[in-house]
Amino acid sequence: MLRFGQFVITRFFLAIVTLLTVSFIVFTLMEMVPANCAERYLSYKSFQGGQISQEDIAAEERRLGLDKPYVIRWASWVGNVFFRGDFGDSCILRVSINQLLGQKFLLSLGICLTALILAYSIAIPAGIMSASSSNPYLNNSIRFVSYMGLAMPNFLLALMIMLVSTILFGDSLTGLFSKEFRDAAWSWARVRDFASRAWLPIFILGWSATAFALQTVRALMADENGKLYVTAAKARGVSGKQLLMRYPARHALAPIINSLGFDLNRVFNELPIVALILVLTESGALLIEALARSNDQQLAGAIIFMLTASIVTMNFITDILLALIDPRIWKSVMGGG
Amino acid sequence: MTDTARTALSDDAALAEQKRKEAYFTAGQLQLIWARFKRNRSAMVGGLVLMSLIGMGIFAPFLSPYDPTIAGRDKTYQNGAPQIPYFWDENGFSFRPFIYSYSRARSAATNFRWVSTVDKDKRRYLQLFVTDWEYHMMDLHLDLPGDIFDINVQLLKSTTHLFGVDEGQIHLFGTDSPGKDIFSRTLHAIYTSLAVGTIGVFIAFVLALVIGGLSGYYGGWIDSVIQMVTDAVRTVPAIPLFMALAAFVPDEWSAELRFLFISIILGLIGWPTLARRVRTHLLTERSQDYVLAAQLCGASPGHVIRKHLLPSFTSYIIVDLVISFPYMVLSETALSFIGLGLKDPVNSLGVMLQNVTKADVLLNYQWYFIPVIFFMALVMAFVFVGDGLRDAADPYGGHD
Amino acid sequence: MSSPLIKVENLTLQFKTDEGLITAVDNVSFEVAPGEIMGLVGESGSGKSVTAKSLMKLNPGNAVYSPESRITLTTDGEDFDVLSLKTDRDLKVVRGGAISMIFQEPMASFAPAITIGDQMVEQLLLHSNMNKMQAHDFSIEMLERVGISDAPTRFGQYAFEFSGGMRQRAMIAMALSTKPKLLIADEPTTALDVTIQAQVIDLMKDLVNEFGMGILFITHDLGVIAQTADNVSVMYLGKLIETGSVRQVIRDPAHPYTQGLLNAIPKLEQLDVPLTPVPGDIPSPLDRPTGCVFHTRCSQMIVGRCDADIPTPTTLSEGHVASCFVAQYGPGGVAEASA
Repeated sequence: MLRFGQFVITRFFLAIVTLLTVSFIVFTLMEMVPANCAERYLSYKSFQGGQISQEDIAAEERRLGLDKPYVIRWASWVGNVFFRGDFGDSCILRVSINQLLGQKFLLSLGICLTALILAYSIAIPAGIMSASSSNPYLNNSIRFVSYMGLAMPNFLLALMIMLVSTILFGDSLTGLFSKEFRDAAWSWARVRDFASRAWLPIFILGWSATAFALQTVRALMADENGKLYVTAAKARGVSGKQLLMRYPARHALAPIINSLGFDLNRVFNELPIVALILVLTESGALLIEALARSNDQQLAGAIIFMLTASIVTMNFITDILLALIDPRIWKSVMGGG
Repeated sequence: MTDTARTALSDDAALAEQKRKEAYFTAGQLQLIWARFKRNRSAMVGGLVLMSLIGMGIFAPFLSPYDPTIAGRDKTYQNGAPQIPYFWDENGFSFRPFIYSYSRARSAATNFRWVSTVDKDKRRYLQLFVTDWEYHMMDLHLDLPGDIFDINVQLLKSTTHLFGVDEGQIHLFGTDSPGKDIFSRTLHAIYTSLAVGTIGVFIAFVLALVIGGLSGYYGGWIDSVIQMVTDAVRTVPAIPLFMALAAFVPDEWSAELRFLFISIILGLIGWPTLARRVRTHLLTERSQDYVLAAQLCGASPGHVIRKHLLPSFTSYIIVDLVISFPYMVLSETALSFIGLGLKDPVNSLGVMLQNVTKADVLLNYQWYFIPVIFFMALVMAFVFVGDGLRDAADPYGGHD
Repeated sequence: MSSPLIKVENLTLQFKTDEGLITAVDNVSFEVAPGEIMGLVGESGSGKSVTAKSLMKLNPGNAVYSPESRITLTTDGEDFDVLSLKTDRDLKVVRGGAISMIFQEPMASFAPAITIGDQMVEQLLLHSNMNKMQAHDFSIEMLERVGISDAPTRFGQYAFEFSGGMRQRAMIAMALSTKPKLLIADEPTTALDVTIQAQVIDLMKDLVNEFGMGILFITHDLGVIAQTADNVSVMYLGKLIETGSVRQVIRDPAHPYTQGLLNAIPKLEQLDVPLTPVPGDIPSPLDRPTGCVFHTRCSQMIVGRCDADIPTPTTLSEGHVASCFVAQYGPGGVAEASA
């Protein structure tokens, strides 16, 4: 057990280092942006009337601690994030970012994860089936589905759906919540409302995720099927479902788990566009509107960091999972042999 | 048959057979790949589609009857439906294809929407090789900071276009709200997307080669450090990052500069995956015996890399490049669509789709979606060609 | 004479490929008796593995058996026409039951993520009436029987934790646990060093004596055959060109190919003599020579005969059969009296 604990801690440490590297990259990018936080805030204020001068900017900078050297600012930012989970205040709105983002981030994450789960629950059985059956119709239709998923990117699919639904139903199915529930507290009614509308982005995101996952599973199964141990098992008289599940399927599992983190990355890439098309942002529920509409680097940096942190966490979890199910990794972890 | 005749015949046949076998055995790597590729029907179809689309893109100015920017708009036919040429109607048959004339009117009665009445009696005939707006086959303006770096290249001026009408304008795919011809815009959009994709892929490729190459060739701690950084970069989701960056791009930048910027960013986002492939391949290959043999013969590291290692995975890299192309195109489209990528007058599918989500358009002007077909075809073609190349390039691929 | 354990008659097998139908096995017939060790010798591409796999119908889906092919397995007084069995479930009698197979690459033949013990128990549960407990104990016994020390621990380990020789033994243990009548050994010693090779061969011979089963020993190594087998069949490009007892074939090879193979073996007494390989290369299966398949590389070829007609199996002496015009008629092509 001790060895396993060591393994977990090592992986955890690596994850932290990755996060630190990412935070460094993100922070640097935030710094490289032309106007700093003070100038932005003040120019925002000047839009609303009111003059600003250089002294105002300098004073603001001092207040925000922007005159301190880079490394110190990075360290304090990282410290706040890691130890207190506090991203500070938004540049322009002067409100705590955590407050601004809180719910939105969880909703976005929820939608993405659901889409992924959906994708894999379809792709894994379908992929295994298609690898084992010699039915040409089944195989060709599965191939077609996976190609369609690749060729029709999510935002185009979303557009098509909007087009069709507008023509047919006169309603473009936008928004994550209906008006009444937008800022209401959580209740069963709100959950129902959310579910009745959230299925669309989940479906759209799941569409290409399924196509990708399907292709991956099929390729892995084809690979494993050609290996000698499958023939050897067949030569021992193992057949049918037992042969399929215990031999190629079981061994294809590991690479699939490995790719989960990468898939999450991909879904995060697709989410913003889909969200914008479906106008999920207008209901104020999604994360990305905060990113695109505001020119606020504190906010932007926080969002990017949170997204990346989710992926790093996912990678960490899959690493542990992998060690648990693949005996080769398990044994090398435990130092047995 | 006499013996001599039989021997002579069999000699010729044997010689031909010999030549064929030699051709097979001495065929270069590229020829072998091409031979295998040719047999894959879907890949060949994809290749043909791809070639035609690329052709359409390169010759876009020649093929488009009208200037795709605001300058070429047709004020008399805004938000107009596609005009399809006919050969034959109630008034008779004609060798030359023609379209109808129309008149537009709007009033309170029609909700202030333009309504076209078609005049079937007045025909307008298509003409080939018309003279219209001026264009250059290659036109590059870059206003970089500092006047020395400005680039102005113009080649091959021409005013000929493939087709046009004798009176008024013809809009095969309809027009958008200011009146720009969607057909012309689609062709130019293909060109832009391909150009952005090419630059992006090129940058990603160069970066991946250098970084992955260093990592793979030297191994050890250099590899570990580079790997950590590569993994960290790879973990950051590209589009949100790009959204954050693009939102900060000043509006003063010219369209061309934005174009360059977008391409560079796409390349910067794309290199980690490619770099990882290069590195993995190098790591396995560099411990192979043939590398050791070369080193023992006194080859310098540069020589080993150039003459031995690189050719061993050229085919894989080419496949990777082709496959990453559609992702570049799609990313650029997505970003332009949200308004963070390219802007008018530079034209791409994303730009063209910017106005598509309005209810007005969805209900009434469905022809705005026609370019989508072209882009799906482009992406699918790349995917099929990439898959076909991958199957053809793998020496151990194929059936048992 | 008791009926043979396995009888192969006129086996012809072709593969459907993009380039057309490729003949892998051409009209092969042989028998293996219970308790006999039959060696099947040939270069890569001679069709020996494919032939062996046909005994269990283990070839991939694009394999086409000709209608005249017959493979008859006689076990416990019952005859089974192997090629007529269709589904995997029907073939369970043969696969792992009456016939077991061990492969060249023991590492690759064990599933990497399942313990050796689990795989052995699985096979026992499929083919016998044992319950899990009994199968567990019996498997450990078998592991001990093949010389693996600390069997109970090894039972719970994975293939990657075994050494090369141990893996091969484990594979033998697994194959023999169902008490098959015939063991097909596909190049079992090729991947091992010579010392381990000797141990594994000795083990196999002991087990044959103990269990009374037959072995079909496939290899390209004539030396191993000379030590191990009772009879040997030589294959070339899908055809069985010579068969007989080991003594007959090795002392007195009739077919030029067999002669070539034996000559190619370096002799301890003649270390200075240059090596004499069989000249030329094995032709591509897409390009099968007309007439006798070996004539393109044969130094004793009779022009006009060997390149035109296909030689039929001729009995040269009791049990020693070869398909060769030169063996039949002598180098001049003139008919000679044969025993």
